[in-house]
Amino acid sequence: MTAPRPEVVFAGTNGGTLTEIAAYEAVGGFEALVKSRALSPDEVIAELNASNLRGRGGAFFPTGRKWSFVPKPDKIDKPHYLVINADESEPGTFKDREIMLRVPFRFLEGCLIAAHAIESQHVFVYIRGEYEAEFDVLESALEQMRAKDLLGEVTIVLHRGAGAYICGEETALLESLEGRRGQPRTKPPFPAIAGLYASPTAVNNVESITSATTVMEIGGAEYAKLGVENSTGTRVFSLSGNVVTGGNYELPHGFPLRDLINDLGGGIADGRSLKAVIPGGSSTVVLTADEANRVTLDFDSLVGAGTAIGSAAVIALDDRCCMVQLAVRVSQFYEHESCGKCTPCRVGTKWLTSILQKIEDGRGTQADMDLLVSVAERINGKCLCPLGDSDAIAVMSYFDKFRDEFQAHVDEGGCPFHGTSSLDHLLAPVAMHVHNEAVAHA
Amino acid sequence: MSDLVKVMIDDREVEVPKGTGLVETAASAGIEIPVFCYEPRLGAPIGACRMCLVEVEGLPKLQAGCTLTAQDGMVVKTAASSEKAAEGQNATLEFILVNHPLDCPVCDKGGECPLQDLTFRYGPGNTRMSFSKITLEKPIPVSPLIALDRERCILCYRCTRFSSDVAEDNQLVARNRGSHTEISTFESDPYRAPFSGNVIELCPVGALTSTQYRFEARPWEIQNVPTVCGLCPVGCNVNATVREGKVKRILSRNHPEVDGGWLCDKGRFTYPHLTAEDRITEPLVRGKLGLEPVGWDAALDRAEELLRGAGTRIVTALSGSESVEQAYALARLLRVGLGAHAAVLPESTSDALDAFRLPLSSIASAEIVVIVGDDEVADRAPVVDLWLRAARRNGAEIVHYGPTGTEQTGPGGAAAALHALTESGNGPGDRLRSAERAILIWSGGGGGGGARLAETAHALGLEGKPGSGAFHLPATPNGRGVAAAWAAAADEDESNPEPIGLLIVSGDEAAADPAVRVLAERAENVIAITMFHALAVGWADLVLPATSSLESDGTLLNLEGRLQRLRRTVIAPVPDELAWLSNLAGRFDVELSPHAVVVFDELSARAFGGVDGSELNGTASLPARTPYEAPVPAAEVRAAASAKPSDEHFLGELRLLRYRPLFSGPFVERVGELAFQRPTAELELSTEDATRRAIATGDSVVVRSNGTSIELRARINRGLIAGVARVADEHAADLHLHVEVVKL
Amino acid sequence: MSALYEEIQEIRARYPESLSAVMPALQLAQERSGGWLPEEAFREVADALDLTPAYCLSIASFYDMFRLEPVGEHMIEVCTNISCGLNGAQQVVEAFESELGMRAGETTGAFSLRTVECLGGCGWATIVAVNNRHRLNVQAGDVAGIVAELRGTGRGEG
Ligand SMILES: Cc1cc2nc3c(=O)[nH]c(=O)nc-3n(C[C@H](O)[C@H](O)[C@H](O)COP(=O)(O)O)c2cc1C
Ligand code: SF4
Ligand code: FES
Repeated sequence: MTAPRPEVVFAGTNGGTLTEIAAYEAVGGFEALVKSRALSPDEVIAELNASNLRGRGGAFFPTGRKWSFVPKPDKIDKPHYLVINADESEPGTFKDREIMLRVPFRFLEGCLIAAHAIESQHVFVYIRGEYEAEFDVLESALEQMRAKDLLGEVTIVLHRGAGAYICGEETALLESLEGRRGQPRTKPPFPAIAGLYASPTAVNNVESITSATTVMEIGGAEYAKLGVENSTGTRVFSLSGNVVTGGNYELPHGFPLRDLINDLGGGIADGRSLKAVIPGGSSTVVLTADEANRVTLDFDSLVGAGTAIGSAAVIALDDRCCMVQLAVRVSQFYEHESCGKCTPCRVGTKWLTSILQKIEDGRGTQADMDLLVSVAERINGKCLCPLGDSDAIAVMSYFDKFRDEFQAHVDEGGCPFHGTSSLDHLLAPVAMHVHNEAVAHA
Repeated sequence: MSDLVKVMIDDREVEVPKGTGLVETAASAGIEIPVFCYEPRLGAPIGACRMCLVEVEGLPKLQAGCTLTAQDGMVVKTAASSEKAAEGQNATLEFILVNHPLDCPVCDKGGECPLQDLTFRYGPGNTRMSFSKITLEKPIPVSPLIALDRERCILCYRCTRFSSDVAEDNQLVARNRGSHTEISTFESDPYRAPFSGNVIELCPVGALTSTQYRFEARPWEIQNVPTVCGLCPVGCNVNATVREGKVKRILSRNHPEVDGGWLCDKGRFTYPHLTAEDRITEPLVRGKLGLEPVGWDAALDRAEELLRGAGTRIVTALSGSESVEQAYALARLLRVGLGAHAAVLPESTSDALDAFRLPLSSIASAEIVVIVGDDEVADRAPVVDLWLRAARRNGAEIVHYGPTGTEQTGPGGAAAALHALTESGNGPGDRLRSAERAILIWSGGGGGGGARLAETAHALGLEGKPGSGAFHLPATPNGRGVAAAWAAAADEDESNPEPIGLLIVSGDEAAADPAVRVLAERAENVIAITMFHALAVGWADLVLPATSSLESDGTLLNLEGRLQRLRRTVIAPVPDELAWLSNLAGRFDVELSPHAVVVFDELSARAFGGVDGSELNGTASLPARTPYEAPVPAAEVRAAASAKPSDEHFLGELRLLRYRPLFSGPFVERVGELAFQRPTAELELSTEDATRRAIATGDSVVVRSNGTSIELRARINRGLIAGVARVADEHAADLHLHVEVVKL
Repeated sequence: MSALYEEIQEIRARYPESLSAVMPALQLAQERSGGWLPEEAFREVADALDLTPAYCLSIASFYDMFRLEPVGEHMIEVCTNISCGLNGAQQVVEAFESELGMRAGETTGAFSLRTVECLGGCGWATIVAVNNRHRLNVQAGDVAGIVAELRGTGRGEG
């Protein structure tokens, strides 16, 4: 039925975990590190370039190139830093957590390889605060590695986040790690030149780094044979929503989206039908069921369909989902997570939510439909970082592709689902630190 | 020189040095890129408000103009020529106004508000926001000086960046996230820091307003009079906002070399002393019932009588806050008219330092700064503290030898540290010697008014380096100018009369000085020239009302050696000192003009190399360096008690370190809103001394010395050297040099 | 010197610049203060790191996991983001509300109930975090059992 499923990230786990160092070594653990340390930093980078491994955090930037942007120590006389983005908070995404839980050593080995490549002795892993079990696993793994003296000159510090989606954005993450409010910085300067403590820094996602271990283990050329052109290697896809068996599935790039949902995910739950798919985390453009059936899970195919692979978080929506309610909930998320630094995002996301809620409540007019489009357009492309844009892009995609449903809310003076939508009355988080804020019960 | 680059803005070609900010580049071609959050004095741009959106050729998205710098060949379109940019700016303003209350008619900022202006030029004409605006409790007192209206706030973060990145006090912060973000202090703590008031001027809307200025004036009813602040030796350039003959507020008038556009709260908020309740508005003579008002003619007759009676047996105590003209006029009257040469002069600054002169702003680009002295810089010359912070942020090494310094020395120990800098193998000394831009600062009493500092600077070879230099931070605003004026008035030497026939007390600081009070006990008569009743009663036989530096024309010599013009911003309720001094001088055959400009010309020829007074208007420049001349050892006058070095250290006893806080003195005491800034009655202890005595911060302690004992609150100061108890002057009462500290 | 002060100095030593220690220090202080940050905790952290309480507050209030008001012994957080929402999260929230007799956002007695953004367990919706330990595949019908279990235990593992 489906294409073969090579395991790279989860290789050797047999569906279980590799949290004891001996078990990891038994499947060839740390060989890649030994190999890498025998090479010069440039040779490691060349191997990465040959693999064409691209970032798994969302932007799909080539990992080897990112490392090569970090100046050589003789160019900038400051400590170099490797910062791992383990803040995984994009709705729908839960792959990094499973990587850390099941193959912590492969991940940490990748950290040491990357540190060698950028000539850094200081690694910080910024792990989202909600991932307590994952933190414990990493801490134990680090302890085991220290006992075996595998770190060499390198220190790895685990730094816990404290609940802020924006800290997944790399410059906000660096601000947060420096002890500031997690608000994005303007670029340039880019982190490679002036990142953590204004020093050269590479910021990489957990999965990118874990994949780098495999690249060094099997060689860049071999790795590049996996997947498809421009999207090499495997990817851990997080499947969720209205499917029978959600979860993480490591697949080669180019895997048909339809097969992920129907074969691996067991199809749409409760005998319902597929309505739409969010293919790469909440910030990506939604696909209609038809579109979803035509695409494969790789960069080019998804861009061709007007969306993006993002964080490889596939959310399947069945026919019970009201798209206006979805828009409200997604917009509430971005409103809640807006860092508040730039005006269009801080004000615009809130305004957008209000307009959407008004439409959902049946109080919306035709003018509100126009206003919705206008406000979204006024947010998009004006913000300091992509967070505000994401809200506008996601919401506009629901509006564009399911305009009739929005229109029905206005025409019928209420939600056409009449209380049967799966997201009906869904309660967004109550602002944490605001006193006396009315609880947003519908 | 940096390379020039060509940039096209709105089809106009502009040439600027590479790296110039795009906002400045556009401005140089007369093109506006509107901004809110951008303020170069706050550090690197943050690109937060998005008011400055422009189109840049080759980039698909609109760019925040404030974050860009000029690159060769760059093609930029602002709202004037790009529909996309205009739409972007219109969008930003629409978002900003979504929650803004638009209460302009009752807003203090109305009429001088950037938000009003930019909305007028770039904004939407109507509102599409149909939801209720966020309503918040308002106004919130940020401190007794500053009110915050959160509804008006547009979250440009200028105020918080000032607090964290310029003053580094971290008292005013943003709390919460996203649309819930608000400007705040900690719980109910006030914004208590020396520079808090700057946030009022930085705020581009009426969110942060001065409680003193609230509802006091509309922009079209006021006049801004340029002058300089007369309250410390920096002499920050200010504008006094005047309405109907009253000073209503003080604003910065950016002198880039002196103050960089910042003011301390003393300079900004102390003006209500002009209308203090106990302001003296007519002369007073001692009668049967105490001080009684008299007419000016009678007062001057009485003054003449007292002067003639005392002859040469007169001692004059000067405050150091007089203008050079006032000091010179007084000196001419006394020294030429009466031959009375004895004076208690304020701490002056050694002329030898003129060889190391440089603008205060050069501190910011220093490689190394060494500060020596017992006093905190902010207490003596507040704005210098901001320059030092800027230097540290720019990567300078800052070393401070003193009881609270980075290199701890005991009280009075700074002199030895200074001397040690010239010894070979001294780390900071070597670095001072080798750096291109090295700066020495003396912050404390003693040291011959910077003479010792000049010797050190010379030994380190600083006069040969244009970016290097030395500053003495004197205790009074115009001590050097007053001393120079006094010296220029006559050539004869002083002789100390005994007994003193007449003590003339010039100014409120002298009147409040306990040392002057002691002198008065030996004087047959006292003439006090003072502004306030409380300082006149009980000792003066004749009181002549004084004016404030905000009320008179004149000139001040600041700590850099820069002469700056004082302007009369309002008409004083009493005649100008020069008017009656000239009258009195005439009675002793001394010719003296009542006009400051004329007096200055005469004095300038004698003391300031004949500099033309008209050159001092606007932003005054700094005279060139003079060749180094070794200082003549000068008598140390009225040095602070804390500066007396002593090696005694009795077991179990602590050395008392008195300091004069920034927020002290007769003017500050008369401004109720400043009370919270004044030092609390506390005693600072090192961790070591506190631990040994089982004292924790907040405990009450008894401080005893030679029969005196007072109760204070203890505070552990981790930066304080062991063996020292640090107490603000005004809370140290009569405590002696050694104290015993016991937990209550 | 308090124990917290000493522990914060240890945290501080892990970082090249001490400001980086502010989050871990606040996390520690919160743990020591019953799960939230009273005024005194801010003053202690500020003192230990040479910061101001205002600065520490500006940090803590930015992040959802710092609590500025007292919380119950058991912090129950229900993810109501998209994937959990599609799988009955709202029913789970309502079940907790009726079982605990309070609304989301409130604290009564031993319990605090919150709705939160995506907890990173979407494939196993609905995710409920009890004292920061995640329970997967929770359905409305499971809620009574969870509450009963928590009522029977003290603080700690959820
Ligand atoms: C709003 C926002 C949230 C983000 N969240 C994450 C995240 O949770 N994890 C992550 O790895 N990258 C996230 N990113 C992407 C990072 O900025 C960055 O591109 C990534 O960590 C780089 O790593 P990579 O090159 O290995 O993918 C986010 C970006 C944005 C704009
Ligand atoms: S109070 Fe004023 S200066 Fe501060 S953020 Fe708000 S608008 Fe800006
Ligand atoms: S002025 Fe450029 S973003 Fe505010």
